[in-house]
Amino acid sequence: MAVEIGGIGHSVQRKEDARFIRGRGNYVDDVKLPGMVYLDIVRSPYAHARIVKIDTSKALAIPGVLAVITGKDLVPLKLEWMPTLMGDKQMVLPTDTVMYQAQEVAAVVATERYIAADGVAAVEVEYEPLPVVVDPIKALLPDAPVIREDRAQKNNQIWHWEAGDKAGTDKAFRESDVVVKQDIYIPRIVVASIETCGMVAQFDKIDGQLTVWMTTQAPHAIRTVIALVAGHLGLAEHKIRVISPDIGGGFGGKVPVYPGYVLTIGASVLTGLPVKWIEDRSENIQADSFARDYHITAELAAKKDGTMRALRVKTVADHGAFDAAANPSKFPAGLFGIVTGSYPFEKAFVEVDGVYTNKPPGGIAYRCSFRVTEAAFAIERLVDILALELKRDPADLRLQNFIPPQAFPFMSTLGWEYDSGNYAGALKLAMDKIGYAALRREQAEKRKRGELMGIGISSFTEIVGAGPSKHFDILGLKMFGSCEIRVHPTGKATVRLGVKSQGQGHETTFGQIVAEELGLPVADIEVEEGDTDTAPYGLGTYASRSTPVAGAATAVAARKIREKGKLIAAHLLEASPDDIEWKDYKYQVKGVPAKSKTMAEVAFAAYTNHPQGVEAGLEAVDYYDPPNLTFPFGSYICVVDIDKGTGEVKVRRFFAVDDCGTIINPMIVEGQIHGGLTMGLAPALFEEINYDKDGNIQGGTFMDYLLPTAMETPSWETAKTTTPSPHHPIGAKGVGESATVGAPAAIANAVVDALAHLGVRHIDIPITPWKVQRILKEKGVAE
Amino acid sequence: MHFEGTADIGAPRERVWAFVTDPEKVSRCGPDVQSVAVSDATHFKVVARAGVGPIRTTFTLDVVFTELRAPEHAAVRARGQAPGSAVEMTNTFELADAGPGRTTMRWASDVTVSGMIASVGARLMQGAADKLTQQVFACIKEQLEAPAAATR
Repeated sequence: MAVEIGGIGHSVQRKEDARFIRGRGNYVDDVKLPGMVYLDIVRSPYAHARIVKIDTSKALAIPGVLAVITGKDLVPLKLEWMPTLMGDKQMVLPTDTVMYQAQEVAAVVATERYIAADGVAAVEVEYEPLPVVVDPIKALLPDAPVIREDRAQKNNQIWHWEAGDKAGTDKAFRESDVVVKQDIYIPRIVVASIETCGMVAQFDKIDGQLTVWMTTQAPHAIRTVIALVAGHLGLAEHKIRVISPDIGGGFGGKVPVYPGYVLTIGASVLTGLPVKWIEDRSENIQADSFARDYHITAELAAKKDGTMRALRVKTVADHGAFDAAANPSKFPAGLFGIVTGSYPFEKAFVEVDGVYTNKPPGGIAYRCSFRVTEAAFAIERLVDILALELKRDPADLRLQNFIPPQAFPFMSTLGWEYDSGNYAGALKLAMDKIGYAALRREQAEKRKRGELMGIGISSFTEIVGAGPSKHFDILGLKMFGSCEIRVHPTGKATVRLGVKSQGQGHETTFGQIVAEELGLPVADIEVEEGDTDTAPYGLGTYASRSTPVAGAATAVAARKIREKGKLIAAHLLEASPDDIEWKDYKYQVKGVPAKSKTMAEVAFAAYTNHPQGVEAGLEAVDYYDPPNLTFPFGSYICVVDIDKGTGEVKVRRFFAVDDCGTIINPMIVEGQIHGGLTMGLAPALFEEINYDKDGNIQGGTFMDYLLPTAMETPSWETAKTTTPSPHHPIGAKGVGESATVGAPAAIANAVVDALAHLGVRHIDIPITPWKVQRILKEKGVAE
Repeated sequence: MHFEGTADIGAPRERVWAFVTDPEKVSRCGPDVQSVAVSDATHFKVVARAGVGPIRTTFTLDVVFTELRAPEHAAVRARGQAPGSAVEMTNTFELADAGPGRTTMRWASDVTVSGMIASVGARLMQGAADKLTQQVFACIKEQLEAPAAATR
C-alpha cells in the first residue's frame, strides 16, 4: 500500500522533472509581458572611488532609451539606501562614493535589451580613485582607510561575536599535554547557480498593485522587505505579490535583496510599464553576494592519550562593503558555534570579527546552514593535525573521541543541544565499505615505492532547520515553517508551503509526506510554492530548513486533517469517534477491518454529508515552531593519488555515509548527496575568487573560475545510517547541504595525508596543481 | 604594475625633451591613438583604443604634465575611462647627455587598470601592458632617430 500511494521511504520519480526534462520549466526570464521594457546596470570599474560627475546625456540621446536612473534621482524618493537582512544598510545607487568593483552606479531603461546595454556604455562617469582596502586583516589596523564613512563607528569592524567560556578554555589549554594550532583560510567563492538573478516588475498605477516575478528563495520575506523599503511610496504589503517561479539553483545566492531588484521595481513604478532585469553571467559572478572568506586561527588542546579537551577559534570574516548576508539576527557569524563538531569538548571559546572591505557583500550561506561548512572544515582539519602530532590513525582518534550514542540529547559546551547521533556507527560503516585497513596497507607499500597516496576522513555534524522562535528570526520575522492543505471533494489535495524549491524536489517529497499521513496517492497531491498570494507566510528555503520546519508543518497539518476526518469517518461508519482508528492508511472501526473508510471517501463526505456540529470542508493550516534544530551527520572517506609531475590531485574513491534521519525519498536524497559532494569537491580543489591590490576581481569569468565538470568529478559511492530526529514529527533532519559541508575536509585531509611523511601539515584550499607542485619541488620529490 | 627601462637615443637632449613634452608628438606613440586635443600648456585629452586580447575598448584619457624640469625630468599622469574599465598611468622620464648628439632616457611607468579589462583579462594583462609600454618607448626612440625627424 505504501508503495502504491508513494509514501515516505519510496523513490517516487520527481513530479517536477516532467516539465524540466521537456524544457518546459518557467523561469523569470521566460516571463514576457506586453509592452515590457528592459533594465541594465552601469557598474563601477573601481573598487573605491568618489563619483565626480555622471553624464547621462549621450545615453538619453540613443533612440529607445527611456530613462537613466542615478543615485541623485533616488534621494527625493528616499531609496538611495536600503536596509539589509543583517541590520546594516546597503546602497541601491551611490550618490557620491562607490565601494567595490562592479557596484551598481546607474540604471538604464530601454525598449530593448540591447539598447539598454548600449545606453549603459554611453553613460559617462568621472571617478576620483580612493585608497582600496582588500585584506580584512589590514582593514582592522588603526591606520586603515575607513570604508563606511556613513557609520558612526569610524573603523572597519562591523561586529564582534563570541561564544563559550574564555577563562575556562584558556585554563584547559594550560592544563593540556598537547596543543595544535593552525591558520586556515577558507576562500571567497561564488555559488554559480545555472540561472543568474533577475526580475520582472509590473506596477499598476490605477490600483497600486505591484506584481514581481523574481529569483528569490524567500518570496514572503521579500514582500515584507519591499513594503518596509517602499511603504512610504505607497507600496503596501497587501498590494504586493511576489512570485518565485521555477528557480535554477539558489544555494543561498538568491536570499539577499540586490539593488537590481529595487531598481527594477522603481523603474516600473516610474514608467508605469512592466520592466525586466536579468543579470548576465559576469555580473552574477562579480557583483552578487559571496560565500565563505573566513580567516580562521584554530587551536585544539588534548591529553597525551588523545582525549580532546578544549577548542579555541579566532576568525576574521570578510563581509565586503555592506553586511548583506542573511544570517538569523542573533547570529552574525551564523551557526559557527557548531565548530566543536562531533566531539564532547569540555571547553571551547569562539570569536569572530565581521569586517568591511572594498569587495561585494559576502557571508551568504552557500549550501550550508550559516557558516557550518567553515566550522566543519576547521574542526575536521584540526583533528587530523592532532592525529599527525600524536602519530595516531585519524580514524582511531575520532572513534576514541566521538560523542557516544547514549549521550544524546547532548548539550555542547557552546550551548547547542544535539538532538541525536551515532557518529561511530557512520564512521565504522564508511571504513568497512571502503576497506579502510586495506587502503592503509596499500598506502604504506606505495610510500615505500615513493608513490603519493592519501586517505582523508571527515566526520562532520551539521546544525540545520532554523529555527526555534526563541532564537531565530530574520528582521524580526520568526523562522517557523508553514503548510496549508486542502483536500478537495474528489479526494485530491492541494498543498501550499512557505518555503520555495530551487531544484530540491519539494513537489515530490512534500507530496509524499501528505500521502503517508493521509493515505492519498502522491499523484493526487499538488504541491504549490512561491506565490505570496496563495502560499502561507514563510521565510523560504535555505540552510536545509525546508524539511525540518516546513516538512514538519506538512505532517502536522495532515494530522489535523486526519483528526477532523476521524469525526466524519465515525459519522459514516455509525460509530463513536473513540472507536475509530487510523490503520493501513484508512479509518477503521477498531477490531473490524471490514468496516473502513478511505480518506477520499471521507473527503467527499466532508463536502456532501458532513456530521452536524462539525464544520464542512477538509482543510488545515499549520505554522510549525520547531522545538529544536536538527543535527544531521556523516562520515566521509576520500582516497587521492597525487601526480608527482603535474601536482594534480586525483580523487580515486570517495565514500559518503550520511545520516539525515528518516528518509522521505531515497532517490532524491542520493541526488542531493551527489550534487553536494560535487559542490564540496569544487572549493577543495578548484574554486577561489581573488582580488588584486586595487580591488580588481580575479577570476570573474568561468574562464578563470573553475567549476568541476563531469571530467573532474569522481564517481561517488554512498551509504546511509538512520538515526531519526526525536523531536521532528516524521524524524527527518534535512540533507541538502550535508555533503557540501562534509566533503571539503575529507579531500583536504586526504591530500595532506599523502604528503604528511614529507612534513606537510596543512594546505589551504583550493588545493590546485600549482600549490601541490610547489610543495613537491620544495620537498625535492617532484618529477 | 610597474615598468621601467632605458633607451639610448641618437638625438640631442633638447630635441628629445621637446618631443616628449609635446602632446601632439608624443601622443603619436600611444597605442591606436584616434585624437589628441590640447587644452593648455600642460593639459591634453587623448582618445585611444587599448585592451587585452579580444577585449578592446576606447579610452578617453585626461593627460597632465605634473612635473617639468627642462631638459632633464618630466612626469606625466594620464587617467582615463572606458565603459566598464578605467586606467591610471604615471610616467616619468629622466634625460641625460650620452655623448655628442646622443641622449639616455630612463623611463618608468606605473599603470593601474581597473574594471572589466583587469578582471576578465587578468592573466594576460601584465604581459600585454609590458608589451604596450615597450612599444611606446621604442616608438619615441624611432621617431626621434628617423632621418626626417631633424627637420620636424
